[in-house]
Amino acid sequence: MKIAVVVQRYGHAVNGGAELHARYIAERLARHGEVEVLTTCTTDYVTWRNELEAGVERVNGVQVRRFKVKHERDPLVFAKRSDRVFEQRHSLGDELDWLDAEGPTSPALVDYVEKHASDYDYYLFFSYRYYHAYYGVKAAAARAILVPTAERDETIGLSIFQPLFRSVRAIMYNSPEEQAMIRAVSGNDNVPGVVVGVGSDVPNNPQAHRFRQKYNIRGPFAVYVGRIDQNKGCKELFEFFHGYLKDPSSRLSLVLIGNTLLPIPEHKRIRHLGFLDDTDKFDAMVAAEVLIMPSYYESLSMVALEAWALGRPVLANGKCDVLKGQCLRSNAGLFYETLGEFIGTLEAIEQNRWLAGSLGRNGKQFFRDNYDWPVIERKYLEMFERLKKESRVPEANPAPGWLDRRRQDLPAAQDVLAKLPTGPAVRRNG
Amino acid sequence: MPDFNVRSDSVNVEQIMAQIRERIREKRGVDYTEQQIRELADVKLERFLDPRGVRSDLLDQFRKAQPAYEPPELPNFAFEDATLFESHRAPIRWIRKLLMPLLKLFFNPNPLIQALHIQSRLNTMNAEREARRESARRAMDQLYYELVHNLVVETTRTGIEVKNLKMRIESIASRLEFNERRARALESAVVYRTESDDAPAQRQASSSTPSRQQTSSHQPQARPTPSVTSVAPVPIAPMPTAVTPPTTTQGQPAPGQQQGSGVPGEGPGQRSRRRRRRRGRRGGGAASVVMGVSGSPTPDSSNAQGSTEPMEPADALDAIDEDGASEAEDIDETPVEREVLADAVAPAEEIARGQQEREPAEPPLEDARAEQAAAPIAEATSAADTQPAAPTTPATHEPSATVAPPDTPATPASSAAPVEPAPSPAAPDHADHDPQ
Repeated sequence: MKIAVVVQRYGHAVNGGAELHARYIAERLARHGEVEVLTTCTTDYVTWRNELEAGVERVNGVQVRRFKVKHERDPLVFAKRSDRVFEQRHSLGDELDWLDAEGPTSPALVDYVEKHASDYDYYLFFSYRYYHAYYGVKAAAARAILVPTAERDETIGLSIFQPLFRSVRAIMYNSPEEQAMIRAVSGNDNVPGVVVGVGSDVPNNPQAHRFRQKYNIRGPFAVYVGRIDQNKGCKELFEFFHGYLKDPSSRLSLVLIGNTLLPIPEHKRIRHLGFLDDTDKFDAMVAAEVLIMPSYYESLSMVALEAWALGRPVLANGKCDVLKGQCLRSNAGLFYETLGEFIGTLEAIEQNRWLAGSLGRNGKQFFRDNYDWPVIERKYLEMFERLKKESRVPEANPAPGWLDRRRQDLPAAQDVLAKLPTGPAVRRNG
Repeated sequence: MPDFNVRSDSVNVEQIMAQIRERIREKRGVDYTEQQIRELADVKLERFLDPRGVRSDLLDQFRKAQPAYEPPELPNFAFEDATLFESHRAPIRWIRKLLMPLLKLFFNPNPLIQALHIQSRLNTMNAEREARRESARRAMDQLYYELVHNLVVETTRTGIEVKNLKMRIESIASRLEFNERRARALESAVVYRTESDDAPAQRQASSSTPSRQQTSSHQPQARPTPSVTSVAPVPIAPMPTAVTPPTTTQGQPAPGQQQGSGVPGEGPGQRSRRRRRRRGRRGGGAASVVMGVSGSPTPDSSNAQGSTEPMEPADALDAIDEDGASEAEDIDETPVEREVLADAVAPAEEIARGQQEREPAEPPLEDARAEQAAAPIAEATSAADTQPAAPTTPATHEPSATVAPPDTPATPASSAAPVEPAPSPAAPDHADHDPQ
């Protein structure tokens, strides 16, 4: 079995959620067959600048084939086109222009997929929103399996992606919420799909005291791991945590791990440690009382899964359906939507060790049942087997004609998004 | 303390969240947003300013209803020196100018012209000033209105905050109370002793004062002799309770259990410090033994003998402690001593019991003082009785007075000196001290 993993960026230094997801899957599937990664020469998701050499190399034993990006992203053009398609009535042409502006525009990669479509048994396309997935699926629809990593943002409301979700052989979802959202927006109920997610290489013996000693951190603390960004809900996190600190009975400090795009509030109980390697990150998680996930948009929070794998409870933003659903299904995390709930839940975890321990144990079990690597690998292999037996021809997704591209009859993406069903999928142990 | 209860082993996040939300509603009331606060303030304004109903955008409406001030065009007449002779017809104007000198022959129009000119200027100035005043007043009105509006907003916010703070204070108070209860529970758990350990300590505490006096005087004796007569200082009687149940000791239900366990609330560290101090004092006693001075006063004995002043509270606590539970612990730690004490105390119990039968009641304090004045023999005993922090019981007090022969030296220490006996029940120090 030969599988191609197609992803926008790939490499050791690439730590984006979908990219890391793709790398983990590629490395794991390489144990069961021949895997080749098709990707671009970029490492920066903002500019999509060509920074790596085109050609073939090996990363962790997996062959990686890189292709040049045709042009970098122009932030002004991209913002203008985003406003157009997200907020106004527009045409298919506008959406295709937006896709081109978003990048990474790599026709060479798509050409390769088209020409070598029959060389691989399956193509695993990661991240539906990018150029390589949209045109790559068109080039190899009969062998395309999509890992959408879709979040609840305006992009899901764009019309060009609806046929994309219907024209693949199968979809590997990250969460039931993502599955429900994609089915609602595209009506792809007949496309085989399974909720898989991704595992994580959690070390066996992370050491809390080592972290405390190294960074001179004393006392109980909550940890946030990830990019410190307004889009990740960090601004709200800071506001809420300030509210928590006003409570005289509060004891937790906040430790932030990750690169920051926001000014960190100056407070003796808020520490920013910057980007840490995996060892320190896992040590920090074990040392923490709770992991806070303030993000509004997640298709699957790997950090939350890692915290659960380490037996730590999670406090998630309840406005994110996926996180809320994970907390409910796993019984391993609490969630908040208001300041009062943030303080209440944080105090509950802080002051009730039994509760924190039970949540952590549930999380560990949830991770073991659903996100342990053997489970993930089995789901992928079963899907391959199923597709091998199936003879379903995916729905055709022809390129729009000249008139279709110019007809201004598509609703604003945010209007489409607003009509999608919301809320977590409260199916247990899913 | 957790704000909610989870009764089952399996956690149900939905249930926990429901409990947390319920708790939040109870504790903090409703969390108002800025918009909600403003709406509340607007509602208050409606009630306050216009009962017939004012919209929420009251300030904007107010501004719209009160446009910027435009001064009214008041009638004014510009009066110049040529105004009287002006005409729109040029020939008439020329004729009037020509006849001006003739007119001035009849009367002088200049003052009239000047007065009217001044009046005209005054009118203009007044109008301008009025316009300025009016515009300023209107601006101030708007400011006042904004101020009142903001005050109402802030008052509303403050009211809500006060309510929240009250809730928080209640929460903190309940937590404080809980912590105090927990601290007390922990202290009691730390100081806890079994009944058999506590009982002797209580009895020792109850008879601490005489025992101290006797202890110091007995220490010089090299080795106690377990004779019944020498055991006379009945305070020793409780000692066997270290090995026998308290209910059998003198048939008393160990009334001083609290004292026996040391000062309420003190930790083991304090007790061990006191024990070390006491051992230091015993060291002094041992030195006197080495010196061979019978009845030589130790600091304790001199204190007991030389003064009838009440003991300082700290010393009293010390005494209680020395003779209390810690000593019981010491006894427990030395089984050999315990055996000897058990042998020695049995006759002492009998003696004490007999004395109880003879003098069941303790003489009043006044009586004791009278005795002290009359008979120096009883001086030390009275002094011991007057020590406030070391209450004596009849069982412990009486024997010391009755057993000692009338012609023996006044203090029990000196009286017991020649026949230092077996360990004294009231002086567990003896038990510790007893050289085996």
